[in-house]
Amino acid sequence: MPMPQLLAGALELALNKVLALDPRSQLRLAALDGKRMRIKLQELPWPLTFAFSSRIDVLMDEEQQVDCEMALSLSLSHINEMQDPANISALIQDKKLSLNGDMHTAQSFSALMKELDIDWEEHLSRYTGDVFAHESVRLLKNLHQRAKGHFQQLGQIIKDGALQEKQLAAHPLAVEDFSQAVNQLRADTARFEARLNQLEQKAKR
Amino acid sequence: MNQQSDSNQTHFGYKTVDKDNKASMVAGVFHSVAAKYDLMNDLLSMGIHRIWKRFTIDCSGVRAGHRVLDLAGGTGDLAAKFSRLVGEKGQVVLADINDSMLKVGRDKLRDKGIVGNVDYVQANAECLPFPDNHFDLITIAFGLRNVTDKDKALASMFRVLKPGGRLLVLEFSKPEIEALSKAYDLYSFHVLPKVGQLVVGDAESYKYLAESIRMHPDQDTLKGMMEEVGFEQVTYHNLTGGIVALHRGFKF
Repeated sequence: MPMPQLLAGALELALNKVLALDPRSQLRLAALDGKRMRIKLQELPWPLTFAFSSRIDVLMDEEQQVDCEMALSLSLSHINEMQDPANISALIQDKKLSLNGDMHTAQSFSALMKELDIDWEEHLSRYTGDVFAHESVRLLKNLHQRAKGHFQQLGQIIKDGALQEKQLAAHPLAVEDFSQAVNQLRADTARFEARLNQLEQKAKR
Repeated sequence: MNQQSDSNQTHFGYKTVDKDNKASMVAGVFHSVAAKYDLMNDLLSMGIHRIWKRFTIDCSGVRAGHRVLDLAGGTGDLAAKFSRLVGEKGQVVLADINDSMLKVGRDKLRDKGIVGNVDYVQANAECLPFPDNHFDLITIAFGLRNVTDKDKALASMFRVLKPGGRLLVLEFSKPEIEALSKAYDLYSFHVLPKVGQLVVGDAESYKYLAESIRMHPDQDTLKGMMEEVGFEQVTYHNLTGGIVALHRGFKF
């Protein structure tokens, strides 16, 4: 059985199901109508081509011409970094990400998924009734907030412990200071090297 | 050329019938199963037919503005996807010799909101009612084995295909492994007709399906037939161990 097609089918089904849960996603999808985007993930041996119309079709072929082509090569581990647009230039410079084609298509696709606003309570109420849906969603939101708070607190404790009590890691200000000192040393060394070269040239004459 | 072209007789499953009668006999089969065609496809192939069709689309190279002929298009699985891929400027023609299948396909696509760039044509694959060099892509999925004169149908497809265009034939074929072939035979001749009887109330149509698959040319024979009518760079790809094969040929 062709595995790439199985994967594409599952991905396509999931994407369109999720989009269908947000009625306003159609407006954002309209901005991508007729466009195609290809993503190459290092973790996958096949490229994924997304064809946008009133829904998303996921194709698995490399010969397909992509009108507004955008080719991405990135590692899954960099996806988190990509969520902040400010990081994109740095990722490109570090050769962790390569972009070819229409950047606008990528941004529209990112907006399509990032701005998903799913009213889970409304969808759940169709199956369970309003009261149960409301209470369940409220409970889940509370749990999420609490878990988030606990994780932040835990993170802070670990950070403080590592920085101050055990001194396993350096404080960000100390790292910044050290980086500046290294930069200064690099500049001084470069100047010294240039001066030395000049003196060598003079001595040879 | 296919031997059957030289006589007035052809196969209908394991039976030998007059060529003039085959189309109406095949029509009888599909009139009988049209209403539950999709359900039966899912049931009998365990959903794998969707993966085979997806592979066909991935091999199509279709893009916006293309004109596509989905021949023997049945209930429009391929046409639905092509409609989105060719966009407003493109055109998809869903053609089938059987009006029951065409009606089911048309209703299904309209219910899904697929309108505007899809046309429905009742047509015989042997004498396609389209101008020469008209389509960028022709697909025929699980339809060629039901055609009376396959050589004539392939020649007709070659005629209406644009230079540079491609034909994709997705069809049941010959399993590559002997053990798989035996298991497949057991399934085809014992399970298929029983499920057909249970769900559609028609075991005969599914017996015909199993027999017609066995009488269909194997991978290399079909490749040769495509080359014979003028297709170039003909290749095939076996799917699910050769139970199904996708043949691809180009017109230059």
